[in-house]
Amino acid sequence: MATPLEGRTIVVTGSGRGIGSEVAKLAGKLGANVIVNDPGVNLDGTGSDEGPAAVIAQEINDNGGIAAANFDTVATEEGGENMIRQAVDTFGRIDGVIHVAGILRDRMIFNMTEEEWDEVISVHLTGYFNVVKPASVLMRQQRFGRIVGFSSGSGLRGQTGQANYGAAKTGISGMTRVLARDLGRYGITSNVIAPGAATRMTASIPDAAQSLRAQQGIQVQDRRESGVTSLRAPSYVAPMVCYLMTDQAWDVNGQVFNVSGGQVGLSHEIYDFRQLNKAGRWTYEELRDLVPAQLMQGLRNPAPPPDDLDLPGRPVTD
Amino acid sequence: MTKEGHCYMGALDGKVAVVTGSGRGIGRGIALLYAAEGAKVIVNDPGVAVDGSGHDEGPAAQVVNEIKEAGGEATANFDSVAEFTGGENIIRQAVDAYGRIDILVNPAGILRDRMVFNMTHQEWDDVIAVHLKGHFNTIKPASVLMRQQRYGRIINFSSSSGLIGNTGQANYGAAKAGIGGMTRVLARDLGRYGVTVNSISPGAATRMTQSVPDAARELRSQAGISSLSSEQVSPFTRREAEDVAPMAVYLASDDAWNINGEIFYVNGGHVGITSHPIAQKTVFKEGHWEMSELDDAVHNVLLKNKPNPAPPRDDVELPGRDVPGKPLN
Repeated sequence: MATPLEGRTIVVTGSGRGIGSEVAKLAGKLGANVIVNDPGVNLDGTGSDEGPAAVIAQEINDNGGIAAANFDTVATEEGGENMIRQAVDTFGRIDGVIHVAGILRDRMIFNMTEEEWDEVISVHLTGYFNVVKPASVLMRQQRFGRIVGFSSGSGLRGQTGQANYGAAKTGISGMTRVLARDLGRYGITSNVIAPGAATRMTASIPDAAQSLRAQQGIQVQDRRESGVTSLRAPSYVAPMVCYLMTDQAWDVNGQVFNVSGGQVGLSHEIYDFRQLNKAGRWTYEELRDLVPAQLMQGLRNPAPPPDDLDLPGRPVTD
Repeated sequence: MTKEGHCYMGALDGKVAVVTGSGRGIGRGIALLYAAEGAKVIVNDPGVAVDGSGHDEGPAAQVVNEIKEAGGEATANFDSVAEFTGGENIIRQAVDAYGRIDILVNPAGILRDRMVFNMTHQEWDDVIAVHLKGHFNTIKPASVLMRQQRYGRIINFSSSSGLIGNTGQANYGAAKAGIGGMTRVLARDLGRYGVTVNSISPGAATRMTQSVPDAARELRSQAGISSLSSEQVSPFTRREAEDVAPMAVYLASDDAWNINGEIFYVNGGHVGITSHPIAQKTVFKEGHWEMSELDDAVHNVLLKNKPNPAPPRDDVELPGRDVPGKPLN
């Protein structure tokens, strides 16, 4: 096998398990020096365990690759700096940062605590800044670098009970569009992967939620029986991530790729697909007439109020 | 309220609204128009500088005075949305003063622009705290009450900086894009309770956009990108802060009961509804992709005719471009 990443040093956060571990293993196979970062926390961010990162680093080394384990948390400034420093201390440079690390603290907004909000934002979103900031300083000096952030299909579309996760995951894609513009001129690319995969994280969607959806007529296949799980194995996400690390991807910058199973999609930039224009300031009365007729045609409320709710403004029917 | 002595049914008669950051700019325009349309308004603004420093009760107090002089009802609040307790205080003040909360509008924001390689953690944290957590801090307590009363309107503020990307704004872009994503989640959390949650991505000439440094403007004009001079502004290119307010009134009105989870671009006389982040092109393979296959698919299918938003300078020696990269397979 060719080794297009030979000589490159790549930090993969959260690579002790799931998608991260598959990315780290493939990067190792493709010749990269890999820092396998994972503090080994539980899905909700509690606890710590050096086992997962150590096992993956060992596996890479056993298979002829080059890897070192790191157990810092991305949620702190020092943790991010330590990872990048370890890459430089161990392998002499830093070429790629892949931020896969994440936790979940799902809760409906009206029940979400400040702590649940803060912890999810600090691991996903501030965690991204914590590793990108020190890496970008070095990448800019060497005029070469690769940054990949992880967003989420459900985060981008919006999923009940995930105000914290949805904010963090869309924040990562917005931040990456800025990074692409801050760093592109220095030979650094910044892109986003919005993965779909069956991992410890997605398995946490409660059975209650699954059965609620089934009651509403939303078909939920039992993924274990349908064979879908194997088609959504996290290993499918790894090739696209590693491709973005290669020299050939030098001009791929500022994009969001949806990757799930054998599918690789390029996400739309956000744009206004229907518009009203007036030479002057609109009035409320004009908007009341034009917005439903011209902007909202065919679009539906993703969570409409139930019919028995007495709702001002809704046309009354018998 | 009465206008010129006649009984006038405003679009927001009897509603209680909180507008954060409404001492100046877009927020101020919304507070004034809300009051004119009959809402009782909590005018929140700690009166900080664009970078978040300082404190001045003047701006919020002045907007309240303007509203009262025009015959409307308003109360000033000086809490910071960056604190969880600040958000609670703002919502509590609405309930204490007017008995309920119907509408929450979140324009409060600051800027701390810096290229990412120079950005400090303080600059990151401050911007995330006001914009992104600031939205959570007001929405959380408001959502509890709105859910109980089975009615509510939440209007968030995103920005094209986050949705499209703007140099030197990693913090602001992350926060503003995050607000867009959060809006889609909240619409799904709250829609069934008669609450709508939408976002406005505004364009307006305000104190905040004036802070874009002259150096940046000069650089852009050298690159052939010119901003409009005041003489060039036409009725179609105007972007006054008050132009955002009518759409904020409409989304808050009873008429908009079924508009939920959308992001609207609003600037001057322009109102647009934005696309959802779906894949525009997809390639599929049964099995795991090889590097060389992806190189082909990415360049010849997915990114065909799509430019790099910030291509590397021609004099940067770049493997893969002028220097052959390592073979892929």
